[in-house]
Amino acid sequence: MSEPWGLNPEVLVPHGLVERPEKKRPLGPLFWICVGWIALNLIGAIFANVLPLENPLFQNYNFINAAPSLHHLFGTDDLGRDIFARVVYGSRISITAGVGAMIIGFGIGAPLGMLTAYKRGRFDLIVTSIMYVVLAFPAIVATIAVLSFWTPRNLFKIIVVIGLASVPIIYRVIRAATLSVATKDFVVAAKVQGASDRRIIFKELLPNVAPILISFVLIGIATVITLEGALAFLGLSVNPPTPSWGNMINEARTVLAQNPWLALFPSLAMCLFLLSLNFIGDRLRSHFDVQEVKL
Amino acid sequence: MSGEKLLVVKDLTTTFATLAGPLPAVGGISFDLATNETLGIVGESGSGKTVLARTIMGLQPRTNVTVTGSVLLDGHQVVGASEDEMRRLWGTEVAMIFQDPMTSLNPVMRVGRQIDETLRVRMGMSRRDARARAIELLELVGIPSPERRYRAFPGQLSGGMRQRIVIATALACSPKLLLADEPTTGLDVTIQAQILNLLDELKESLHMSVVLVTHDLGVVATRTSKIVVMYAGRVVEMGSTRDVFAHHRMPYTRALLESSPKITSPSHTRLATIPGRPPNLLQLTQGCSFAPRCAYASDRCREERPELEATAEPGHLFACWNPLAHDREAVTL
Repeated sequence: MSEPWGLNPEVLVPHGLVERPEKKRPLGPLFWICVGWIALNLIGAIFANVLPLENPLFQNYNFINAAPSLHHLFGTDDLGRDIFARVVYGSRISITAGVGAMIIGFGIGAPLGMLTAYKRGRFDLIVTSIMYVVLAFPAIVATIAVLSFWTPRNLFKIIVVIGLASVPIIYRVIRAATLSVATKDFVVAAKVQGASDRRIIFKELLPNVAPILISFVLIGIATVITLEGALAFLGLSVNPPTPSWGNMINEARTVLAQNPWLALFPSLAMCLFLLSLNFIGDRLRSHFDVQEVKL
Repeated sequence: MSGEKLLVVKDLTTTFATLAGPLPAVGGISFDLATNETLGIVGESGSGKTVLARTIMGLQPRTNVTVTGSVLLDGHQVVGASEDEMRRLWGTEVAMIFQDPMTSLNPVMRVGRQIDETLRVRMGMSRRDARARAIELLELVGIPSPERRYRAFPGQLSGGMRQRIVIATALACSPKLLLADEPTTGLDVTIQAQILNLLDELKESLHMSVVLVTHDLGVVATRTSKIVVMYAGRVVEMGSTRDVFAHHRMPYTRALLESSPKITSPSHTRLATIPGRPPNLLQLTQGCSFAPRCAYASDRCREERPELEATAEPGHLFACWNPLAHDREAVTL
């Protein structure tokens, strides 16, 4: 049967109510390349001792400061250790530090930030004041001070110190993000439908804060990895000979003229890893960004 | 009027503690509402309508706000009730519709689930029953192809449709009283009429009472049985819709009526406005708060505040020292 006006009735929306199709911009190839790179790094870090790598601590005095070759992909350092193996093993320390510190930081900062933003009142005032006081003190100085005296240093202590130092910043970001959601009418609407506080936090607030949370976690991990590098540069990270990206760069400093490879590869590994994390975080944030449609 | 009062508000005041001193946003308001009645609360921006609605809802924060008087909602006292006590009333006794359908729905949750949630949590329904009921509700509020809309996100729907969803959500637990705080302000005129008619139909079919808060007298004219006119946090005139329109005594009510555009007036007629601005609630004078803007104001108005007094019509009250003659011609809208 043909339509009288040549119109498809499906097109005509009743009551003049407009319908917007569900469409999303794809994440794009660069995003997936970055995800792939992160995955590759993670696999390397997790399975470093299963993979056919040289012992990162083995010193081969026949190959000192060797240039990259088939045998030593990234060359060797001034003690004849394989740089490729050390970069892969080094990722373990760097990534663990990043992820671990953020688990502590977000574990404390995020729930606290959401709770105070939702509850407000005296509790919010007290917690926020404390956080701002802590925030006023430069975190890097505090981190260096604590790590200088809390010896012997190990990865766990580094993670705890950086994690705690990041709490105020995370708290502030998550609280601000929650605050902008918590004042919206739909939260009041849920409340006057009789939803409990727990339900409102998990079902109404969390999904709206999640995009910011996810991208901030990724950027946070990247920041901690840089911070670990900075600490290693000051000799405050894990003790040698254990490799981390940071202390490899630190060691390379002294032989920069003779063996630039030693500085190049850990720097490159760190740089690409951070770039990927930042890009993924940024892309996810804009992907989840709910567009408020104004009529 | 039937003897059954669903909502009884008595001497209700809401005062905000501000740095500049106490701000009486609602000052000594009393009215009641019977089952299956619609009450219109009208007034300019800043006259305390929304604060009143939120106080009746028990939504005022516990700090920096003092609420006195009494709000009896189906026998339950709202003033001074804890949040846990209110939670038992919210949804089943009283529900609220907000002004802006853009912000009153969670943007990251499918609209069907937003209705579902309430049904499952409050009514203990199974997932399947809740879904069926939610679709039923969507149909009830006039949403075409509800099964499909059930899966839509708020951002995919137009303002009118969203407001219908908001209404459906509010109706989920069959509340006895529905508070609509300017439910049509964010919508365009044709959709406004649809939404108001919908509220009217639902009130009849579900035996609810409705409180309609608005600044638009045209909105309340045909759909309410009673009107409360507010100015500077106080009731200046109240009565049956008929009396307020036909025999209003308070010059402010008249000014409000005259500032609504009329379809019968010749084109290019300048719309009447009320000169001046609503008073600063922090610096209320001794006298009538409308006096500075009133054409009929006398010295007495500036010195002594008029109390609500009764008229010949039952239930019709006004607060004015120089009331308009009650044989005035009715203002038609």
